[in-house]
Parts: sequence; C-alpha cells; structure tokens
Amino acid sequence: MMKTKKHPEFFALPGLGQLALSGARPLIGIFLGLLAGAGLIELSGVNPLAAYAAMLNGAIGSPLAISNVLVSASPLLLTGVGVAIGIKAGLWNIGAEGYMYMGALGAGAVGIVPLPLPPIVHIILALLAGAVVAGLWGLVPAYLRAFKGVNEVVTTIMMNYVAQYFTSWMVHEPQPMAEPGAFFPMSRKLVSSAQLPILMPGSSLHPGFIIGIAACILFYLAIRFTPFGFRTRMLGANPEASRYAGVNVKRQILFVLLIGALMGGVAGAVEVMGLKLRVYQDFVSGAGFEGVAVALLAAGNPLGVIASALFFGVLKAGGAAMSVSTGVGGPMTIVIEALCVIFVIAVGYGERKRLERADKPEKEDEEVIQHVG
Amino acid sequence: MAQNNDEVAMSMEGITKRFPGVLANDRISLDCRKGEVLGLLGENGAGKTTLMNILYGLYQPDSGEIFINGESVKIESPAKAIQLGIGMVHQHFKLVDTLTALENVILGIPSEHAPVLDLAPARKRLLNLCDEYGFHVDPSTEVWRMPVGKQQWLEILKALYRNARLLVLDEPTAVLTPDEGEQLFRAIRKLTQEGRSVIFISHKLGEVLEITDRITVLRDGHVVGTVPTKEATQLELARMMVGRPVTMERKPRPAVTKKEPVLVMENVNANDDRGLPALRNFNLTVYSGEIVGVAGVDGNGQRELAECITGLRKRTGGSIRIQDRIVDRIMDDPSFVGFIPEDRQKTGLLMDLNVGENLVIKDFWRPMYARGGVLHYNVIRDHARKMIAAYDIRTPSEDVLVRYLSGGNQQKVVVARELNAGPVLVIASQATRGLDLGAVEGVHETLLNERNRGAAVLFISTELQEVMALSDRIIVLFRGEVMGEVDGDGADVSTIGQMMLGKASEVVA
Repeated sequence: MMKTKKHPEFFALPGLGQLALSGARPLIGIFLGLLAGAGLIELSGVNPLAAYAAMLNGAIGSPLAISNVLVSASPLLLTGVGVAIGIKAGLWNIGAEGYMYMGALGAGAVGIVPLPLPPIVHIILALLAGAVVAGLWGLVPAYLRAFKGVNEVVTTIMMNYVAQYFTSWMVHEPQPMAEPGAFFPMSRKLVSSAQLPILMPGSSLHPGFIIGIAACILFYLAIRFTPFGFRTRMLGANPEASRYAGVNVKRQILFVLLIGALMGGVAGAVEVMGLKLRVYQDFVSGAGFEGVAVALLAAGNPLGVIASALFFGVLKAGGAAMSVSTGVGGPMTIVIEALCVIFVIAVGYGERKRLERADKPEKEDEEVIQHVG
Repeated sequence: MAQNNDEVAMSMEGITKRFPGVLANDRISLDCRKGEVLGLLGENGAGKTTLMNILYGLYQPDSGEIFINGESVKIESPAKAIQLGIGMVHQHFKLVDTLTALENVILGIPSEHAPVLDLAPARKRLLNLCDEYGFHVDPSTEVWRMPVGKQQWLEILKALYRNARLLVLDEPTAVLTPDEGEQLFRAIRKLTQEGRSVIFISHKLGEVLEITDRITVLRDGHVVGTVPTKEATQLELARMMVGRPVTMERKPRPAVTKKEPVLVMENVNANDDRGLPALRNFNLTVYSGEIVGVAGVDGNGQRELAECITGLRKRTGGSIRIQDRIVDRIMDDPSFVGFIPEDRQKTGLLMDLNVGENLVIKDFWRPMYARGGVLHYNVIRDHARKMIAAYDIRTPSEDVLVRYLSGGNQQKVVVARELNAGPVLVIASQATRGLDLGAVEGVHETLLNERNRGAAVLFISTELQEVMALSDRIIVLFRGEVMGEVDGDGADVSTIGQMMLGKASEVVA
C-alpha cells in the first residue's frame, strides 16, 4: 500500500528565530534556576537581591575575585569538554571523578620526585603522566562499552569509587607517596619544578583555565571540521547508519570515551599541580560530577562548555562571598547549580516535545506502517 | 438475526480507523462463530493487525461497533478485552524475557493469597493446561532461554490461562518449524471442539486453507469478501488478496550483449536477528547489464540477503564474491557496490545531519574532502549542489537537515550517494517503499539506467508489480531459499504468486 505524505515537501526550516531560540534555551533555564534559587534564599530569611549582589561582587568585583572564578572553572572546563564529546557521540562518559583522581595520582607521582629538569619539562612530564594514568584507567570502561556492550554509565560510576578509594590508599602512610606523619591523608608536596606558575601575584591563578579553554576550542574545531569529529557526530546521530556507511563504530566509541578520560586526567593533574600542590584524600569531592552538569548545561557543545564552566565558577567563587557577607549557607550555591541544570534540561525537554508535535504526522505514519501489517 | 446471534461469538460492524494520511480500516465488518476458525487473509498493509488491535483494545475505532455474544461492547483497554474472553497472540511476542514462563503467565493476575505471591496453585494449573493441549513448557525456565517455538506456546497458554474464549493468532506459524506447525493445528482443533473460536491471521494461503472454516480477505483496509474454506481455492484467494489491476507497464529496454558475472553467491547461509536460519544454501549469480528481481512475501530472507551481500551481516556459511572480490567486511565503497537499504531513515540516512553531509557519509575521509586532516566544507557543498541538480533533490539548500525532506527526496539523497560513483553492483532493497507514484517512477528509471550502463542490479521488493515491470530475470524467495526463477519477459502473476506461497514452479505447472 502506498504511503501518502500529508505534509509539504519541507517545513519548519531552521531559520533565524529557531537559532535564537536554541541559543536562548540555556539562558532561559539559568534564569528560571536563579529565580527558584531566589525563592529559597528568601525562605531562609535573606533578601535574594542582596544575596545575588554579594555573589556577583564576590565573583567579578575585583581582579582577585575574577581569578577565583577562573581557578574554580579550570577543572570544570576540562572535565566538561570530555563529557561533552561523549554526548556528541551519544555516550554518557560520567567517570570524570575517577579520571581526576587517577590523573592527580599520575601527576603527583611524577611531581613529588625531585628531578634535575627545567620546570617546563617537569611540568609537561607530570601532565602527561596524569593523562596517561587516567587514560589507562578509562581504557577499562571504554573497552567494555565498545567491544562488550557494557553500559558505560554503570562502569564509569562504579570505577569512580574504586579510583577514590585507591587514591585514599595511595596517600595513606605506608605508601611511598604519602606525607610522613600527616594529620590528614595526603601525598608529599610537589617539588617546585613541577608546580604550575602563578599568573597573578597574591592570587592562586594558575594557567589551568587557559589549558581548559584551549581544549574546548580545539575540540569544537575537531568536532566541526575533522573526519574524526564527523565520525563522532555520525555515531551520535545514528549508530546503525554509521556502521552501514563504514564507520568503525567500536573504535570510535573507544576513542571518544578515552578522550573523556584523558581530559579528566589532565583536570586532576592541573588541580594538583596548580592549586592543591598535594594529592589529598577525597580532594575531588564532586568536581568530576560537576563536569557532567557543565556539559549538560552546554548541551554537549564544546564552546558552550566554556560559558557554562565559567558560570559555575561564578556561582562557586561568588557563593563563598555570598555566604560570608549575607549568611546564606554555602551549600546554597550547589542547590542553585542543580536548579539551573534541571531547568535547562526541562526547557530543552519542552522544546523537544514541541518539535515532536511538529513532527507528529510523520511519526504516526511510521506507526501505521508498523501496525497495519 | 436473533437465532443467528447465539452462535456468533464476536462480530465487528463497520469498523473504521484512520491514521493521518492512511485509511487503515474502512468500514470493516466480519464475524466469528463459536467453535470456528476464521482466517483473516491479506497482504502486508491490508489492515489485519490494525483491526485486531482494535479488537484487543489497543486502538479505538473512529466508528463502528463490536459485539461479543450479541452484546455491544466498548473495548477501551486490553484488560477489558481479557475480561471479555479475548486472548491475543501478537506477531511479536509480548513476553518479559527475564521472567520465567510461569511468572509471565500470571503477570497481571492478582495472587490468590495476596499480598503473598503463591505460585504453587498457578504452577499446577499451568501444567494441567500444558498436558491438556500438548504444549510442553517448563514453568521455571526464563523466557530468554526458551526457543521461539516454545515462546509461542507460552503466549497461547497465557491466553488460555485467562480463559480466553476467542483466541487471535497473528502470523503464528512464522516462527514455527513444520512439526511445530502441525502441533499448533492439533491444538487449534481441540480448542474449537471445546467451543472456543480462533481468528487465524496469515498471508500464507496453504495453511489458511488447511486450518480455517471460513476466510475473510482484506485488501487496502476493506473486506474483499468472506468465503467458506471448503469452497475456496488458492488461485481465487490469491486474486482476492492481490487483485488490484495491473498498472505498471513492463519497461522497454535495450538488449545488453556483453554479460559477465558480477555477483556470485554460493551456498550462502545466514541467520536472522533472532538466530534462526534466514538464508538456506542460497545460490545466485547476477550478471552485468541485467536487473534480477527478488520477489517474495516480506520476511522470507530479503533483508538478510541484502545485508549479507553488503557485509553488514555475517554469513554462517558459503561464499559471496563481487567481481572476484570476496565479501568479508562491510562494503562501504559506493564506487564498487551501491546499496539502497530497506529502511532509509534508520540505515540509509542520518536524519539530523544535513543533505550535504548525508551525501558524503561514505566518502568524507577521502582526500577530495579531507585534505590535511580537515574537512573541506566548501568542496562538500559543491558536491552536494551538483547532486541536488543531477538527481533533482527538492530541498531549499544543501544545509537543510534531511529530516525536513519528504520521503521521496530523502530517497533521492540515498540514491544519489549510492549510484553517483557508478558501482559495478547495485542492490536496491525495498527502494520504493512508502514513496508516492512519481518518486517510484523516478527510482525505477534510475535503476534501469544503471542496468543499461552495464551495472549488475539486484532489485529486492515485496511489490510483485514493480518486480515484474523492472526485472530481466525474477527469482522468488521463500523461507530463505530460491523457490523458482522465471524470465522477466512473459512472466505470469499467478505462477510467481504460487511460488511466493511456497510451491515450486514444476508443481504448479
């Protein structure tokens, strides 16, 4: 039986209006998130406007404040872009927490050893060590997903815990990395040649954010303009058609998940080499998961990751100031982060529903084809 | 009417169901008597499954009435249908794979000792039913470990456990071996002896003639007629089923003199997605400059055939060579093999990439497009514009997502990509499915040009009309085997129709 098409040749061309809407979607979500957050602040007895003003002031009110934002954002830029590449390929690589621990261990192991090397070489060695260790770690879920079909969400989450406790064990006393006689489990301090330089005297501004932003731009270009990026987008758009077109789907999945691991490893290495200067037990404390939120907020777009990581940086750095000057609890910033992510996802969901309604005639035709038989 | 009603178990009157763009059921009336097997016969898309889904409460009819034992009923859900004594075995089973047979049977039925789940009485009853009807199913086996034949028994047991008085079996023999088929027929006869009714849906004439008492034939959403099985013949039923007038003229074509074997398949075996044999010792040679049409009822190995040749499906035995190259991996080079896959939206296209990108999904890595590790979008766009002009793809620009094109233009994107490089072998699998007449004509024209150019073309379609219009030779596929071969010139519908239903050519003649 001939299927008749009711709708015209084409419809709803992605014009300027739609483009504006897709750009505005995260902004609408963030606005709603801040609005809901304002309600909660109001409930806790503080004027929300005053609280947000304090937050903004604490984030961009002075060069020092801005440096704090950039420092907070740097691990998020790196983990966020790693997760975002996964989203582009239709994969949920949420092992950033674990990759950060492993990257920190790798960088730490190289960084605590006094090597007769110029700092630039020692730094590069330590960064590489972090990336390689995290990459090897990420090879496990990547291999399992690509070749055995094991769900990457489950393996990466589980391995996060293993990485966390492994790190804890590594920085406890009998292990060679651990600081002898420390009051809290931590590694020995990185030697000065392995520490990242401080860019602004009197602050803790290290070049991590530059590495992060560079990575975001690089991956944006790679996704957009290279065969590798095209394969990644093909995989995310339709795995079956990708296989039909000759894409080595398994290898592509492996690579994409490995990129996430490498980025997470660099994030952990940078955090240790630029800010913490030691590997502490439990030091990541959710930054890896925040990377997932950053990537979601950016809808998987590497350039969007820059904006959303900086936004999270503002909330984190400014939140501390808000807490000090208005008495709103520190955890409130985490609540606001979560609200923003939820609203951005909700707005995106609503938008998709709207598009699906526009698509509907076609959908039902397909249904008929399935059921009429 | 009144004296008639006490023997009519179920009747449907004037059932109409419309989907956007399709009239799936058009004022359908039929009835099924107590102790009767009613055959429901029709091609794919004739409206059989929609009608039965209405009976089972999955769809609501736009108009029309259903009577059970003479009483008008409104079946708003499957729960209501079950309550009315209707049992349904869908073509694609509705079983929970990870639960055991017994757990599947009692799913949705309140426990006798609620809130405690006491399986013992249910197990006893299930085993009794097994004995009674000769289905042997182990209640403790998880469904995923059961062969499909057993799953079929389980579906029927599930309905009987719910005291179904009217059992609907949708293509029940599709997954059964001949022995199991016999077993099913014995069970059906026992059910009818007990006064239950069975609606037997199939497009296989032979078995419908064997098991039913009366046959209702559907075509294009309406009832063509109802005949007592005793008075029916295969030929008459086939005509009722297919019986639309021949609209497609056979295409004129120049003779191609120089012919060389391009595709050579020897003793190819392959399994379907469920691991059941789909191609059995399949042999075929396609020569340059000819179109070989593959006719057959859907699901007789067509998909597996195309996927084996293109390397998308691993064969379990035999060899495939294309111009002496052995097929051992995915044939992703459109300058060698052009493949128009069965489902363009799932396999052939990436709906959320644009037209230009979809035109290069097999080639984008070539130096032409990817110099120095960078994709040259200006070259990709230029290529797209040329293809849009050459293949008359109706799109505002090459940057529009393929999703927004009509079905015919989506297919043109696939055709342009697969045929532009002049492949030696073209495989077109259900290439005109869902297209309007103009687009169908365009695809036929293109394939004929490929043949005249000297390509070997394998044209797989379940639409007999177009196979006959287009092919130089026609082979008929039945249960994964070549049932027969006829010359395209002077091919005769009833001969091919018989072969499609599983009768080898010599038997018919």
